Amino acid sequence: MDIDKDKIYTVSEFVQFLNEDLKWMKAKIVGEVGEAKAGPTGHMYFTLKDDKDGSMLSCIMWASKYRLFGITLEPGKKIVAYGCPNIYPTSGRLSFVADTIELAGEGDLKKQYDELKAKLEKEGLFAKENKRPIPKYPHKIGVITSKQGAVIHDFLNNIGSFGFDIKMIDSRVEGQGAVEDLLASIKTFRNKDIDVLVIIRGGGSMESLMCFNNELLVKEIVGFPVPVIAGIGHDKDVPLAAMAADAMVSTPTAAANLLNESWVNALLLIERLERKILASYTAIFDRFKTVENKLNVSLQNFKNNIKNAIFKTGEYGQKLETKFALLCDRLTEKLQNIEKLIELNNPERNLKLGYSIATVNGKVIRKTGDVKIGQAINIRLSGGSVEGEVKKIN
Amino acid sequence: MAENKNLNENLKKLEQISQWFDNSSQVDVEEGLNKVKEAVQLIKQSKERLKQIENEFEEIKKEINNNEQ
Repeated sequence: MDIDKDKIYTVSEFVQFLNEDLKWMKAKIVGEVGEAKAGPTGHMYFTLKDDKDGSMLSCIMWASKYRLFGITLEPGKKIVAYGCPNIYPTSGRLSFVADTIELAGEGDLKKQYDELKAKLEKEGLFAKENKRPIPKYPHKIGVITSKQGAVIHDFLNNIGSFGFDIKMIDSRVEGQGAVEDLLASIKTFRNKDIDVLVIIRGGGSMESLMCFNNELLVKEIVGFPVPVIAGIGHDKDVPLAAMAADAMVSTPTAAANLLNESWVNALLLIERLERKILASYTAIFDRFKTVENKLNVSLQNFKNNIKNAIFKTGEYGQKLETKFALLCDRLTEKLQNIEKLIELNNPERNLKLGYSIATVNGKVIRKTGDVKIGQAINIRLSGGSVEGEVKKIN
Repeated sequence: MAENKNLNENLKKLEQISQWFDNSSQVDVEEGLNKVKEAVQLIKQSKERLKQIENEFEEIKKEINNNEQ
């Protein structure tokens, strides 16, 4: 907005006008903390001093921001503050309103990292026994990363097509300013229905990764309702947020593979079980086959026996015939003898010779006691019979 | 998540069937065939779930709580 040279501004209007413009003067300022004191509501009032010529800038940092960074503002500490200037209308004082602060001294970052790491370790926030397993067959995935750059593409290119429902929140992931974004993103996902949360970014220097070395972020991750996977590239010092996560990998591709893992394994498991069960199934039929084969062998043996018998019969046929003929002759002779014997004993022959057979009531009379006087008697003769009556027994 | 639970249960059942075959020295043929029938069904269902299904991707906005000043 350009100043209107013809207009007479009120003080309020002019301060407001200045503040509108000052809002756009975002800058990073390095300096040494001079005085620093906290107001009753926790806002920080401090000065930054140029270490060469002693120039001063009075600064404010709102409590809501100050508690994000885990840095205590104390005299002598060298920091980089990022923010914009603003005139406080009530006092007319210009202050630099810092949105983020980070340590600027040589070795300070490392020192801050080490101290925080030791502190959180002591609180048990990195303890292995508190890690939750990544759920099997995850479906709803929450992803926090920057929309810019290759990270999200790497992740999406490597995640399998298992019907994942992926929700992403675009967050800054570099520099101290990212802390606020990351925290807001995690908090947003707290209320979303997801199975697992993934925080990913590419590799970077410790300085650029300092947003992940943040106490609040670590605590948000540890307290998150579902397991968290961190895929944050790094060099030597593992970002504390990654250490707090339930599973830690160092690339977005690895994070995707971790989510694929149970699905891919399920596919392998099914194939293995399928082979095994079908083999067992075949085994049942193999058992039938064994029995069938045995039966076949028995049947074949039986056939062979019959064949042998037939063959043997052929071989001995001739002999048998002779023997049979001999047997027949002998039988004929025997029969003829029997015939003669029968003929000799034939009663009919005796009748012809003049003998007769007397019977009473069909019974042959052999002795006198066999009959009584008055009984009817039948006498058989050659060529017929005569009837009579017993008159006298001598 | 329901379908994933199913997958999990299907796999468990399949493992049990596989173990049943492992543990029965004298396989009951009728029962064996029933188990195979069940297994084929489970395998079919599980494979159905595991075949390529497009992912859904959605960007959502973070909720910023304006609690300052």
